Amino acid sequence: MKIKPFFSSTLLFALGGFLPSLPAQAHFQTLYVAESALERGDNLEFALVFTHPFQGGPTMPMSEPRSFSMTSYRAGAEPVVTDLRKYLRPIEWEGGGRRAAAYQASIPREVVRSLGDHVFLLEPEPYLEAGEDMYIQQFTKVIVNVGGVPSGWANTQNLPVEIQPLSRPYANWTGGIFRAIVLSGGVPVPFAKVEVEYMNYAVDLHKRGFGGKPQIRAPHPAYERLSALADANGVVAVGLPKAGWWGIAALDIGAEKVHKGKTMSQDAVLWVQVKDME
Amino acid sequence: MKEKSHMERIVIVRWVSAAALLAPCAAAWAHAPVLDCYIEPDKVHCEAGFSDGSSAAGRPVKVLDAQNKVLLEGKLDQAGVFEFKPPPEAYHVTFVGGDHHEVTLYSSNFSK
Repeated sequence: MKIKPFFSSTLLFALGGFLPSLPAQAHFQTLYVAESALERGDNLEFALVFTHPFQGGPTMPMSEPRSFSMTSYRAGAEPVVTDLRKYLRPIEWEGGGRRAAAYQASIPREVVRSLGDHVFLLEPEPYLEAGEDMYIQQFTKVIVNVGGVPSGWANTQNLPVEIQPLSRPYANWTGGIFRAIVLSGGVPVPFAKVEVEYMNYAVDLHKRGFGGKPQIRAPHPAYERLSALADANGVVAVGLPKAGWWGIAALDIGAEKVHKGKTMSQDAVLWVQVKDME
Repeated sequence: MKEKSHMERIVIVRWVSAAALLAPCAAAWAHAPVLDCYIEPDKVHCEAGFSDGSSAAGRPVKVLDAQNKVLLEGKLDQAGVFEFKPPPEAYHVTFVGGDHHEVTLYSSNFSK
């Protein structure tokens, strides 16, 4: 019997509520900010949520991040690294019908007003995925530009695992292509497993949760989370068919494979913002 | 007021773009000048750059009053920064990024 897409999606979602866990591959660490291409510096409100962005949940509890920082670049000046942990505050985030520990950060304009690129980096505490008896740690990156002056958006950040952009992550048209290199220890990872998800629900920073209706409905579960492999040089190309935020994750590419005696997947996540031509 | 100043900047940049298209040796549009200024406790901090990411180091900056009288002139430092003590009256700052490459911001549009 052919199940209509809506019902198959709903069924899968409903099953997710009963299953001990969803597959680890469906997890995405978000580092949400409403706008990544700013004309002038502004106060920025970030939501740090470990979730399933296409389905709008369920959300997994986060522990206090190991680090949350910003590297700011200007032509002719040394990069400036700012520790942002003091701006973090624990919250509960609603997604997929349940609430889970997450973090919010209010970054004042004075900190992120300088012309150029500001690379936000999050190193979360490894998350124990009990259903699979393994840890997941997703090093996550978002790049915010101020004033349209490009600077260090393509720079690597010396993370254990990282997605190095080859296109500016904050300036992409709907229908465009985004390219990046998957790195582990600064070295490209040939044929790295990459997953791509669309942030399919509105993010409500005041209610602290996902809201509204899904932007798109997947015709088949495989469309909810797109899978690809990097090429022999670790380069991945991602199509961007809809405006909004797209998450790109390279899975299990880290050197650290064990945490507290259990298997660990160290993943790299990069978020890319897309806008319509109007 | 903020919107007005923002539009002024857009007008200036678009004029520069049009001029570049008409020039016999057209300057690349991707090299548009960008300027922003912030008020700090005892000074005004201005930063300048170009939309292609190239450095604005050494480029001239002018501070002018409402009658376009030059109050202060200087050059951007290595990091594209120019700082000055704000005059008591309304003023504006112009970053001269090259031939037909100017951008101006008005003090009413500055904030912290």
